[in-house]
Amino acid sequence: MTTGDQPSPTRIVVLGGGTAGWMSAAALQKLLGPLVEVHLVESQDIGIVGVGEATLPHIRGFVERLGIDEAAFMKATHATYKLGIDFRDFGRIGESYVHPFGSFGEEVAGVGFHHYWLEMQRLGRAAPIGAYSLAVEAGLANKFRPPAEDQSLASTYGYAYQFDATLFGPFMREYGLGIGVVRTEGKVVEVRQDPETGDVTALVLEDGREISGDLFVDCSGFRSLLLGQTLGEAWEDWSPWLPCDRAAAMPCVHVTEEIEPYTRATARPAGWQWRIPLQHRIGNGYVFSSAFISEDEACAALVANVEGEPLAEPRLLRFRAGRRKRSWSHNVIGVGLSSGFLEPLESTSIYLAQMAITYLIELFPLEGRIDPRDRDEFNRLIDMEYDRVRDFLILHYHATVRDDSEFWNHVRTMEVPDTLAGKMALWRATGRVEKYADGLFYDASWIAVYLGQGVMPERHDPRTALPNPDQLARALDSLRDAIRREVEAMPGHREYLVSRAERLAEVP
Amino acid sequence: MSAPREMPGRIVVAGAGQVGALAAIALRRALPRCEILVVGTPPDPAAFADRAPTALPFTNRLHDRLGITEERLVREAGGSHRLVVRYLGWGGEGHAGVAPYGAAVDPKLKTRFARDWGGGPRNASTGAPPGSLGEVLAAAGRFQPPAVGPDSPLAALDYALRWNPGAYRDLLVREALRLGVQHQPGAIIAVELRADGGMAAIGVGGGGPIAADLFVDCSGPQAMLLSRLPEARRLSWQGALPIRGIQFGRPGAPVLGLSDNVVLTPVGWRSELGGRDGVHLALAMVEGTDEPAARAALGAEFADLVPFEPGRAERPWVGNVVALGDAAASFEPLAWLNLDLAHRQLALLLELLPGREPDPRERAEFNRRAAMMADRARDVLGAHYAAPGAAHLATPGGPLARSPELDLALDQYHRRGRLPFFEEMPFAVQEFSALLEALGHPAGIGALSLSTDPREGEAERRRFETAAHAALNVVPPYREWLERVLGG
Repeated sequence: MTTGDQPSPTRIVVLGGGTAGWMSAAALQKLLGPLVEVHLVESQDIGIVGVGEATLPHIRGFVERLGIDEAAFMKATHATYKLGIDFRDFGRIGESYVHPFGSFGEEVAGVGFHHYWLEMQRLGRAAPIGAYSLAVEAGLANKFRPPAEDQSLASTYGYAYQFDATLFGPFMREYGLGIGVVRTEGKVVEVRQDPETGDVTALVLEDGREISGDLFVDCSGFRSLLLGQTLGEAWEDWSPWLPCDRAAAMPCVHVTEEIEPYTRATARPAGWQWRIPLQHRIGNGYVFSSAFISEDEACAALVANVEGEPLAEPRLLRFRAGRRKRSWSHNVIGVGLSSGFLEPLESTSIYLAQMAITYLIELFPLEGRIDPRDRDEFNRLIDMEYDRVRDFLILHYHATVRDDSEFWNHVRTMEVPDTLAGKMALWRATGRVEKYADGLFYDASWIAVYLGQGVMPERHDPRTALPNPDQLARALDSLRDAIRREVEAMPGHREYLVSRAERLAEVP
Repeated sequence: MSAPREMPGRIVVAGAGQVGALAAIALRRALPRCEILVVGTPPDPAAFADRAPTALPFTNRLHDRLGITEERLVREAGGSHRLVVRYLGWGGEGHAGVAPYGAAVDPKLKTRFARDWGGGPRNASTGAPPGSLGEVLAAAGRFQPPAVGPDSPLAALDYALRWNPGAYRDLLVREALRLGVQHQPGAIIAVELRADGGMAAIGVGGGGPIAADLFVDCSGPQAMLLSRLPEARRLSWQGALPIRGIQFGRPGAPVLGLSDNVVLTPVGWRSELGGRDGVHLALAMVEGTDEPAARAALGAEFADLVPFEPGRAERPWVGNVVALGDAAASFEPLAWLNLDLAHRQLALLLELLPGREPDPRERAEFNRRAAMMADRARDVLGAHYAAPGAAHLATPGGPLARSPELDLALDQYHRRGRLPFFEEMPFAVQEFSALLEALGHPAGIGALSLSTDPREGEAERRRFETAAHAALNVVPPYREWLERVLGG
């Protein structure tokens, strides 16, 4: 392994040239450069899923850490800004709410804003909770401006991107090749393993070439060629809680002048439909459960439901919710769909790939040797991330009064994981959110979904009865006014993009 | 439609030490219409949180919130500042290390959005900062509490306050009385339980029964209220922590310094806290220590000896009784974590403040988080005893037990220089990392550091030196600042 004093670089083989593959290859090469040789194997015969058109604010950290210019990145992926997700018809048909990249109000005297809001709502003196969030109001007004970096009202939101995921992979490929990632085109026909340890030693390609390596990053998508097929890593099935197993995707043209700075998720009889406005088109898709609707019916429903003229035929994707029991087994690390899948309801696909890459870099084998303790630590962290997202997604289905279809009857009445049942019971009894500070989705997110989907607590904090209601009402009004003024001063989303034309792609 | 919880009519706080007094102030401020009655049980010398002459930076923020200003603590309670703890001998014979407070935070992560949404993985190894401003200032004897502002050269600096425990308690009692807190001295001689496992009333001295909706037990390690409930259980930490007795010295000559010392000794450790009222010495001893010989090593006039058994309440909140301080967790005053833990659990009670009838689910949430707080405090102590020089402090039964979390943290740090994020840790990841370094734990190097160009670190070090130099130029000698405050 070593020649002289300098240990030879760890040979990393990334299998798969989709979003997760090129994100992994680029990040490993950029951040661990002198310690690694990164070799990516991809085949043009195998399509990429290109999931995750909508992202979370964390992706900005990824792009920045790699030293990628935001404007070039937005231009290449036809990206627009995103302030949150507009959920329609989830809790009840006809109702909607925004889960913002931001929070609602501020705590006063140690009591969370939503408790005061609950009290004012009881007295009939509160506007909908979204009126007290700058991210929600700016989004619904189709306004955008980057947040301030101080403690002011203008710092209470963050942003992500809505982009063309089929362009993000290629953008990362170009970046990766530019910094020294080696790419091989070819289809894997055989995986060689060490007969004693079971570790993967090489990939054999159709033309007979062998790509050997020390560490294999499995980004082969749902096939999970290394982690699932070769190593037989067990799958934990979450479909009893998240029954959607198909998506029909179809882009269409813009029908409005303005570009919404938010993604829309509309509940449908057997799942939900996404609507993601990009620079020149709108991404649409129907995520559904094949147990409740046929593929043909779902495609027809999507075609009937999109607002603009379709730009392609519906494309069908198949998946299942769950994750491998271990994402890192032997010398194989699964990143992306090969290690797990959660539907894009909260735009978490790219986040989960990004987290896996970040943890892999943090726990990267030293001197070419994998320590089982680092592998266990990686798997602990990945499990924590997945489990938190899972419970949050299940909440979106379970917290409903809908009884208009078999699908909604199923998710409304199903038994949820104990971890989620406990969180919901605490909220219902006291209006409090179970606290954690690691992973994804903190208080503000849980509160947005609980209140947005009509899960009202029975009781709220006793201290909300202390201030004079008139005083409270005035405080709420003045926050609303400040938000209104802030929103008024913001440019429109399209106007902001146009004024920074280096972010705009050529009109195709 | 959600309705507000009915407010408690009366809350009884058992224990009039500095923990009980601050709890009473906090509850009175949170629920001004509620009667808060402090029952002044006789002080327990083994209540380490109650006799602590200092806490950690968290307490400063709690004080702020409760209207107890730093200036008052300096003027009325002998308050002074500690920027760093010096650890002597923990890394082995002759080893010295310095543990500062505070963590350098990327300004972007200070926005309100970052607070609400997080900035990515919390356990990302941010790498040790190139130097500690606290250490530089402590060595130069210069400091003044930073005028809060992101541009202040002291913005990333955090500190702990010391005080004279008697004067501090008196200050809190005055404040509590001013706010209308009731006080009744006397021992608890009887308790009356409810059928549901809670507490109905207590009997104090010769008076009639005192009923309340909520009882807050700040009575010290005996947990005079909590321990009377049939469901209360105590978990022993004897396998994890070696110290079984503390000898306290009488305060010696006053000093004015910005650092305090914790020295490893053959029988345990000795802490030297430089207060304006005198140096507070404590000598911690493992089981079977020859006390007279140890007393000679105290280095001060002997005040008292306190034997104790470390452990915590399995659930500090049972029925309508919430235990805080030593009643919830009892352990040696190493790194001055006792009052810090008491105050963080008090803040948790304020966050989850119940109505007249506590809800079992909020009780469970309090117990879940309070248990993590206590266990992580124990792990911080465990990290001390795992230091290279402290192997001789193992219990007679063999090496000290370590929690899976402590094992994970030490293993990751030793091999990779990485510390995982744990919920409810008393220290930020960077602070804990600095503490481990001060204790002489060898730090490994992770892949990310190995692949970083050393010139980057060099540039960062130069930036730090420039900033430290600038700070030394504008920050006055600590004594000057103090004289100005006391004279003004």
